[in-house]
Amino acid sequence: MPTPKPEEKRRLFERLASLREIVFGIQDGVLTTAGVLAGLSGAVGQRQQVILAALASTAAGALSMGAGAYLGTRAETEVIRTELRRTREEARAEPYIIQESLLHELNQEGLDRDAAYRVVKLLSSSPEALHATAEEKIYGLSNASFGNPLADGLLMGVAFLVGALVPLLPFVFLSTVRNGLIAGIATTAIVLFAVGYVVEGRLAERRYPTLSGLRFLTIAVGAAVIGYLVGKAISPLGAAP
Amino acid sequence: MLKPGDVAPSFDLPCAFDGQISHLALAGLRSEMVVLFFYPRDFSFICPTEVVGFHKAQPAFKAEHTSIVGVSVDDPETHRKWAAELGGLSYPLLSDAEGRVAKLYGVYDDVEKVAMRATFMLDNKRRIAYAVASAINVGRSVSETLRVVRAIRSGRLCPADWQPGQPTIDTDQKY
Repeated sequence: MPTPKPEEKRRLFERLASLREIVFGIQDGVLTTAGVLAGLSGAVGQRQQVILAALASTAAGALSMGAGAYLGTRAETEVIRTELRRTREEARAEPYIIQESLLHELNQEGLDRDAAYRVVKLLSSSPEALHATAEEKIYGLSNASFGNPLADGLLMGVAFLVGALVPLLPFVFLSTVRNGLIAGIATTAIVLFAVGYVVEGRLAERRYPTLSGLRFLTIAVGAAVIGYLVGKAISPLGAAP
Repeated sequence: MLKPGDVAPSFDLPCAFDGQISHLALAGLRSEMVVLFFYPRDFSFICPTEVVGFHKAQPAFKAEHTSIVGVSVDDPETHRKWAAELGGLSYPLLSDAEGRVAKLYGVYDDVEKVAMRATFMLDNKRRIAYAVASAINVGRSVSETLRVVRAIRSGRLCPADWQPGQPTIDTDQKY
């Protein structure tokens, strides 16, 4: 397989930065909808009403998660950009501070002090290059640090929607609530396992991807079970006097 | 930090001078006065101006029978490379690798593990005649160092901002 060009690699890294939104959205969509379906199945009983309520919950959830991701990324990016602007102004006034810090970083990474000095001196001939390198090396900022609010919002919303369909579709295609619920729980478990297996296991090239799948499933379901138990524990507080 | 009147602690350290690595002891300096300046690190973006400044002013210090000696915690090979990087230096750079001498003069920064930016002028009896330390981001004034050397060597009472050729104050006058 030919080695990808650096620009392609860079785009790949930027796309991979969106994995968080996708995994978060799918996991939340699957679990939230599975929880809603399980709860409604016991309370309502009628298949059509369960489906309608779950659809409404899915729509609200997808919009809420999408808007949350959009606003979160936007706020984060703006704050980082403002701080970066301030840092650049300080660096322009006292360039030796970032020059010294960059020199120290390069030295820590294995370059001899004299070699590091020459690298920083060369970079200093272009303030833009010096600042960009310092931001990556000293502050750990890169292009991937600046998310795209719209893309993040859309990804999160769509991922939630896709995740929500996992437990919902069996209800649509199976004739009884009971069968829908059993199939929904089964598909939920399979998809949660699959997400962990593919993303954490295969893409991250883990030695035992099955363990990654099981870990993802355990954490996701574990969080849901703990949430359910907490709800059970505090439910007496809401009882009528 | 040592103060005027204190005896300057002796030292014998590896040094880089004229592209060579050797040793230099305080006892081996025959000049009337010695300007001993400590600085944090070689290959730094803060120090070069004063290191080069002392180099450029070395003939003027020599005319005042004064030796210049730079000291940092860098090893002698790094000193040699640093001097070459700066285009060569007309005075030795001493390697106080463990900061022992900087500690004796009271100018060792225990946190950064480097010498502070400090200058000592030693008189012909190798006592401290002048001592000053500055913030890490403030370079020293070479011309002020030279002015003080000249003032000390005049043996007179010198008013503020005194320059050679200007009147001094007689010792029997009040000032």
